[in-house]
Amino acid sequence: MRSIPVSAPDPSPAKAGQPGPLLAVEGLKVHFHTRDGVVRAVDGVDFQVGTGQTLGIVGESGSGKTVASLTLLRLAPPPARIVAGRVVFEGENLLLQPDKRLAEIRGRRMAMIFQNPATSLNPILSVGQQLTEILRWHTGVSRQAALDRAAELLTLVGISDPAARLRQYPHELSGGMKQRVGIARALLCEPALLLADEPTTALDVTIQAQILDLLADLRQRLSMSMVLVTHDMGVVARMADRITVMYAGRVCETADADTIFNAPQHPYTRALLESVPRIDHSYSGARRVLPSIAGRPPDLLHAPPGCRFHDRCPEAAPECRRTMPREHLVAPGHSVSCLRRGSPGEETP
Amino acid sequence: MGALRFLLRRLAFSAALILGVSFILFALINAIGNPIQILLSETPGVSEEMIATLSRYYGLDGNFIDRYGAWLWSIVHFDFGTSIIYNQPVGELLEVYGLETLKLQLPAILLSTLIATAAGVIAAMRQHGWADFSIVSSAMLGHSLPGFLVGIVLILIFSYWLGVLPSYGAYSTRNLMMGSMVIDGLWHMVLPVAMLTVFNTATLTLLMRSSLVDVLRQDYITAAWASGLPARRVVLHHALRNAFIPQLTYLGTLFGLMLGTAPVTETVFTWPGLGALYITAIHQLDYPVIMGVTMVITVMLVVATLLTDIAYVVIDPRIRLG
Ligand SMILES: Nc1ncnc2c1ncn2[C@@H]1O[C@H](COP(=O)(O)OP(=O)(O)OP(=O)(O)O)[C@@H](O)[C@H]1O
Ligand SMILES: [Mg+2]
Repeated sequence: MRSIPVSAPDPSPAKAGQPGPLLAVEGLKVHFHTRDGVVRAVDGVDFQVGTGQTLGIVGESGSGKTVASLTLLRLAPPPARIVAGRVVFEGENLLLQPDKRLAEIRGRRMAMIFQNPATSLNPILSVGQQLTEILRWHTGVSRQAALDRAAELLTLVGISDPAARLRQYPHELSGGMKQRVGIARALLCEPALLLADEPTTALDVTIQAQILDLLADLRQRLSMSMVLVTHDMGVVARMADRITVMYAGRVCETADADTIFNAPQHPYTRALLESVPRIDHSYSGARRVLPSIAGRPPDLLHAPPGCRFHDRCPEAAPECRRTMPREHLVAPGHSVSCLRRGSPGEETP
Repeated sequence: MGALRFLLRRLAFSAALILGVSFILFALINAIGNPIQILLSETPGVSEEMIATLSRYYGLDGNFIDRYGAWLWSIVHFDFGTSIIYNQPVGELLEVYGLETLKLQLPAILLSTLIATAAGVIAAMRQHGWADFSIVSSAMLGHSLPGFLVGIVLILIFSYWLGVLPSYGAYSTRNLMMGSMVIDGLWHMVLPVAMLTVFNTATLTLLMRSSLVDVLRQDYITAAWASGLPARRVVLHHALRNAFIPQLTYLGTLFGLMLGTAPVTETVFTWPGLGALYITAIHQLDYPVIMGVTMVITVMLVVATLLTDIAYVVIDPRIRLG
């Protein structure tokens, strides 16, 4: 079983009785212990996803979005190590579950679609083999029943002639078609939460729009929650109920989508929005990538002390160099992590 | 493109290849000169007439094309002429010695594939761990040791010191082990098969490990884990099959170049196989045997290549027949 080592998990159990959000990530730290030192890829991240909600996680390349989302299923690649935090999903802290329990949750309650459809399907197994294997493993249905269900899902994700597709191999499908198969694979067991890490980045612009429409539609029909990781502000504008902005392994700001777009607080969020030409035409135009902000994100191997954004921040004050801001609520449902917005700080050496 | 057409095209290609090699071989041997002349001209009391008579007897007279045609025609009937040294039909020698070679090589290839796959899986699953380190270093060692040294050390330990396993030959000359030909034969196979297995396994293990490490990093493996499949399915069904694809070429080479490793093993263990036969034939200029064995090597290489191509088509759906 692939699962990353958890070196110092918080052993406190989920608060019983209170119906919490579907997913609550608290104080998550995932570090890579490399030969050159410790890469603090995710360094104290909190976010929540309510039932039926879509959370968009945005941030520049290298901000830790992929590592954070893979860690939700305890799948970050070696040499990743979960150093601290909890991932509470449907009342269980997944970081403490035995591998066997985790395998029951993966693909059944929480499933994932990947950025690159060309590499995320096994090249030597037919579509039918890949889909039915998962279904049969989780539900124990007969081969025929699994094939029927797989065909049903292919229809659901907009693939015509599913019986023929099931016999085909990934290389016989177009990129958009492969991503649809990837989505069908994730939805086989009707998971409560779907993780989508840049599900459209690798696709042609016109196909991107189709896939996003499909995801929006499926989310509605299956009343599914979603974590949508992207660096395309247009995509989150269209899809997300709530948005978490990440920078260099930490969360800058979390709020409702409207608030993020209309009343952003964190200087980084503002910079991001200014770097996006027009968000209302969302995904129909050319792909918009974030890093048009001056400067480069910090090297996480030598993360700067204080606020990680300080050297690119137009509002940076001397204290920002020394003190790391901690997230605090500026309004109900709107949290910001910035000393200039009143966040409490912790001294960093 | 249909599977039958693919197969026919490949067969035609193979036949052409074998024909080409046979011609080159014949021309080369021909260029060495008349072996009867070479073997006997120094011998006192042998007249030119005797040499001429013997040359006629072995079919060494006449022009090049006629002789090549006759030779080709005879090998189609599995008649490779008569060995000058053994005075026996070469076809018979090839059969008897060839079986002895297969007896060592096939079990060794099978065993090393199994061992290397298991070792490769263990090493790749615990990359940079203790097991990985031990497996990789023993494989490196096995890979860099000369094959004959392994054979000699095996003989030293198991035959000389412990005295439990025979060190030479395919059968006991006097008392058969437990009175049975089969058991006695198997008993003699142990050490030479072990030597070959060490040799093959080392390289295969390193290949298997690096290919698995590479596959385990692929998105589709992460996707398989993310689907909740158990380790057994992910590793054996999703990863191993993909990791095996690059091994096919090497396995094919092992089959095809069996006779590359055979001479050393068969010399160390005095094994009556094709490799030993080949070496002797070369030393003694037994040209019908040399030509026969060379043709066998060619055919084996061609067949191995054909089998490898077919295996690729079977295992990898991305490969188009053509
Ligand atoms: N295997 C690894 N070893 C060491 N560091 C790693 C490894 N994988 C990721 N990282 C580091 O973790 C950090 C976060 O990477 P991550 O892939 O999560 O970024 P991201 O936000 O998803 O970026 P992108 O938008 O490019 O996908 C990066 O700075 C990267 O250097
Ligand atoms: Mg990423």
